[in-house]
Amino acid sequence: MPYAIEINDLYKNYKGAWTPALNGFSFTVRKNTVMGLLGPNGAGKTTSINIICGLVEPDKGSAKVFGKDCVKDMLAIRHIIGVVPQQIALFGNLTATENFMYIGRLYGLNDATITKRANSLMERLGLEKHADKRIKSYSGGMKRRANIIASLLHEPELLILDEPTAGVDVQSRAMIMTFLNDYKQLGKTILYTSHLLDEAEQICDEVVIIDEGKFVIDGTPKELITNTPDAKKLEDVFLHYTGHSVRD
Amino acid sequence: MKKIIATIIKEWLLMKRDFAGLLLLLVMPAILIVVMALIQDAPFKDYQEVRFDLLLADNDHGILATQIKNGLRQSKNFHVTDSIGGQELSEQQLKNMLQDGSGNYKIGIVIPKGVTAEVVNSANIIVNSMSGKMGMSASLPVRAARDQIFVQMYFDPVSMPSFRASISNALDKFITYACSNVLVDRLSLLSGQKADTSAKANPDLKKILQGVGIKEEPLNDKGNYKQHINSVQHNVPAWAIFGMFFIVIPLAGHMIREREEGSALRIALVPNVYKSVAMGKIIFYTLICTLQFFIMFGIGLWVMPLLGLPSIYLGTHPVLLLPIAICIGFAATTYGYLIGAIFKTVNQALPFGSISIVILSAMGGVWVPIDLLSKTMQHVAMVSPLHWGLTAVNNVILRDGSVKDVLLPLTVLTCLGVVLWLISIFLNSRRYQSVQ
Repeated sequence: MPYAIEINDLYKNYKGAWTPALNGFSFTVRKNTVMGLLGPNGAGKTTSINIICGLVEPDKGSAKVFGKDCVKDMLAIRHIIGVVPQQIALFGNLTATENFMYIGRLYGLNDATITKRANSLMERLGLEKHADKRIKSYSGGMKRRANIIASLLHEPELLILDEPTAGVDVQSRAMIMTFLNDYKQLGKTILYTSHLLDEAEQICDEVVIIDEGKFVIDGTPKELITNTPDAKKLEDVFLHYTGHSVRD
Repeated sequence: MKKIIATIIKEWLLMKRDFAGLLLLLVMPAILIVVMALIQDAPFKDYQEVRFDLLLADNDHGILATQIKNGLRQSKNFHVTDSIGGQELSEQQLKNMLQDGSGNYKIGIVIPKGVTAEVVNSANIIVNSMSGKMGMSASLPVRAARDQIFVQMYFDPVSMPSFRASISNALDKFITYACSNVLVDRLSLLSGQKADTSAKANPDLKKILQGVGIKEEPLNDKGNYKQHINSVQHNVPAWAIFGMFFIVIPLAGHMIREREEGSALRIALVPNVYKSVAMGKIIFYTLICTLQFFIMFGIGLWVMPLLGLPSIYLGTHPVLLLPIAICIGFAATTYGYLIGAIFKTVNQALPFGSISIVILSAMGGVWVPIDLLSKTMQHVAMVSPLHWGLTAVNNVILRDGSVKDVLLPLTVLTCLGVVLWLISIFLNSRRYQSVQ
């Protein structure tokens, strides 16, 4: 089975929404690759991620992670995926260590394992000196890095990142990018969304562009740039396929 | 179980760091019960223990007026003022003093002119009638009875109806007693002897005239319950339960803030933990409520006496207060959990939570005993968890009840808590389906 994620003809319409969030969207992610899921605001990126995580049920279509159905096998899937949401999904009044200890315990890990993994990850993401500070006292970049660590404590096979570098400084972003590259070397799969197309071009093996809930195009960044007229970078490809009109 | 314990530890760390919030949870209800017990101390005291300043204008100057005055003066309830500066109080002065707004005097009595003559005339009519029936020849002077003469009572307009009724009843007893004395006096004339009807000469006269008396007896021999009808005994449990339900505010607030800051999403992403996390949270807050309950009762036991109030009596089975506190805490916590699950913002949840508790407490008998409410409202009270909590506590500390007396309220509270929790779980499970 070569695919980590198989999304097939997904439809999702939220109550009271003007347009469907997903309108027959399909794409696949090969194992041990970094896939960029790119699209303008409201294109359906977060809904796709929420369906993969089992937080939202699709109206129609199927989503599979390592061959497991995202609705029927939701609990099994959550054991093998790590999700870094857009929000800083941590308790602001707890220290980083306390947050990781609590989340690790919820995953059923013992305290020694949690401590070992958290310390190692904090060291790699430059948080080891701030382990006993409360999350609310962290800078934006530190919070983002802590958010990633919390998603990796159970060592998932698939890491899903929803705009992991939004609002962080250049140094933090570089550290996160380096870390993700290293993580991929461990044989893991990464699904990554971002509005920062330079960053996506740099890190992603492949990208898929989604707009108005529909598949637009996919391929390696290099292929897409080559095959798109007048495109010099991924941003040109993106604008070529999604247009210049502002999305609300 | 490890996940539940992990959640309890997490909640404790969060609460410990919100020290002001923790203090408010414990201090505010403590202040509430102390203030309410002090305020309601006087209404709970038997009127026999209270002494009222009473104005009296005597326009009669007869035996009856003298006996009423003497009776009032001998009573522990009244301090009688019938003259100002050596001058007898007039009816107009009495009214002016009651209406001067100072609130110094709340009761005034005017004994009308001719009241003694009217009572003596009535007594003579009765004596003559009895004499005739008994074949005796005695005949006392009588005239036709006039319209009924009233001893007039005036009250400060702010006096409560219950206060007026109590004073009116007390005065009525004095008048009846005085009238009876006159009647006995006139009866004694049948034998041609002058009777001495003073209490000194005939200390049992009052008792004899009363015939059958009234005496309050305890329902059982478990405890001297009459000693425990006081402000502390009623206010401490009622306001402690009221304060426990205010756990809704921090709990619902935390839940909504966790959703807003994203930490709730983190929990939602961990497989198979939602129920454990919810259980950990509910256990933790139930423990806080239980602690709150016993701190309030501790204040009732040890702090109230320092304020001149009686110490709370815990009944003959005080150990039952532990399961009662846990069940009330569980119901309060699950109610807070439901509010946290229903509302999307703190601004929606907190006003609803606090106002709904005030409504449920009013319905449940915290403010006014439900026995005083209409039949319909007594049925409505059954939906209030505060009513069941208060019933359970009162069964133990007022009625000296045992396990069987608290089983029903505890079962209702537990079932209610479980139902509220299941609804919350259902609502939370639907939450992400409507979020784009």
